[in-house]
Amino acid sequence: MSYHLLSYFALFLPIVMVVYQVIPKRFRFLVMLAADYTMYFLFSGFLVFYLIGASMVTYGMGLWLERVERKAEGTPKEITKQKRKVLALGVCLFLAVLLVVKYFNFFAGELVELWNRWGADVTFTPVRFLIPIGLSYYTLQIISYLTDVYRGKLAAEHNPAKIMLYLSFFPQIMEGPISRFSEVAEELYAGKSLQYMNVVHGYQRILWGLFKKMVVADRVAAVVSTTFGDYQSYDGAILLYGVLMYTTQLYMEFSGCMDMVIGSAEIFGIKLPENFKQPFLAKDASDFWHRWHITLGTWFKDYIFYPVSLAKPVKNLAKKCKNKFGKGVSKFVAPTVALFCVWSSNGLWHGARWTYLFYGMYYFVIIFLENITEEPVQKLAARLHINRKSRGYTIFRVIKLFVIVNIGELFFRAETVGMGFEMLHSIVTNFHISNLIQQIIYLGMDQFELIVAGIGILAVTVVGALKEKGVDVREAIDRWVLPARWVFWYAVVVFVVLFGAYGAGYDSVAMIYAGY
Amino acid sequence: MEELLEILEEIAPGVDYENCTTLVDDHILDSFGILSLVSEMEDAFDIEVSPAELVPENFNSAASLWKMICRLRGEE
Repeated sequence: MSYHLLSYFALFLPIVMVVYQVIPKRFRFLVMLAADYTMYFLFSGFLVFYLIGASMVTYGMGLWLERVERKAEGTPKEITKQKRKVLALGVCLFLAVLLVVKYFNFFAGELVELWNRWGADVTFTPVRFLIPIGLSYYTLQIISYLTDVYRGKLAAEHNPAKIMLYLSFFPQIMEGPISRFSEVAEELYAGKSLQYMNVVHGYQRILWGLFKKMVVADRVAAVVSTTFGDYQSYDGAILLYGVLMYTTQLYMEFSGCMDMVIGSAEIFGIKLPENFKQPFLAKDASDFWHRWHITLGTWFKDYIFYPVSLAKPVKNLAKKCKNKFGKGVSKFVAPTVALFCVWSSNGLWHGARWTYLFYGMYYFVIIFLENITEEPVQKLAARLHINRKSRGYTIFRVIKLFVIVNIGELFFRAETVGMGFEMLHSIVTNFHISNLIQQIIYLGMDQFELIVAGIGILAVTVVGALKEKGVDVREAIDRWVLPARWVFWYAVVVFVVLFGAYGAGYDSVAMIYAGY
Repeated sequence: MEELLEILEEIAPGVDYENCTTLVDDHILDSFGILSLVSEMEDAFDIEVSPAELVPENFNSAASLWKMICRLRGEE
């Protein structure tokens, strides 16, 4: 089962809604938990017990942190030290599980290969780990909960059901968003009655997600497979088309999935954090990551970037640099060290592949360059009398960022870093637009499919542009007269049914981010 | 407070710090600016700012920043 399948939104979800609504309010959290674990069981079988175990350990660690605070004697510094030990134990425990199941085979394989290059003759048989779905997402949620309790931002939760609900909410379990305990736990437990407008809005959002996923993402997926699958045979222009289609696929699919997830939660009156905010209107790479996979970015900021920047060794390093090179250099030291930690973690979080690590390092370099060139660029612009807030300059920045993002996605999708460079080289040196024009309808999408995908991309772009200007299209439609509203939403349903990529000739394309 | 306003002016000039209450929400201070500010505040006011303090509520205005500084100095 997946969120874009009929079995989810037309069967599973309605059953949960009906059972949830007929049960007395105080027991509704049990219905939600049953739905969560049923969904999880359908994905990962008996690995659901890992999730339950992880929830119980998280609950216990939270109470332990509270107990240390309450019972400890000594100065505040000593108490913090004791609490830090408990936090470190909890974080290491959950990180160890994540690291072993996700990265052991990769790093062990690389080490053995290196060893063999030095003359050893060792064979390595990868260990077959069972990986619970959503592990990368809820491990981050666990760490955020424990860290917030440690920091005193949250009181340790005394009701284990709230922790269980927080870590297993069924719409979130596959691809996030990575929420914080304080954002959702109370709402999940409250058992609010279903309300007509929430149900309507929720299903509208699910429909919009289906539109992105089925009309655009699953359609352009064929082009991506064709071009990346046999990249050496194609002209640079065709490869560029493939890269653009991959970026489109990734955005439509991930943001479409988020629409389905957030819509599902909305049905139950639960507000999940948004994960996308018109990323292709970003003006620089930092801005892009404030708009793309937002909850992962804020997690890294709160739990890696700031703690690393404010860690004593990093501060001492910055102070040494200040004495030696002055303030102009030292102010970059702590953020750069922290940025490196964030982007290597970001790369690895996506999986154990050199291309992902390269992707992380790519953004580290880009953002580092943006930081150190900000002042000189400001001065240069002032000298040349360029208004950095002008429309022309903003368009230039948006286009520049779009190129940067697409190069990043090229490496993200490539099988190896070398393949990424080969493709990039071909795009730059072997670019013949005539080849693309001649072959475009033989690359996975025919003329009709190109038009359908084009309409889909245009619709999403217009809605995004309006949202950027503060116009919420859904709210605007809500103000239409009833017949016009019904006609509109029926038209969207019919469009998805008629033009969605499914049925004979199409395999349902798995959610990309569920694999992370 | 005067010293804090001077630091803020140096990090992000041309902002009405007396009245602005959305320094973080309006991206006047980004994470990079926040770190520069923390570093300057630690030196100027002899305080230690922990990651737990780096939340918008503490950084959205000069007044909230000053309140945090006083708290960390044990004046509250």
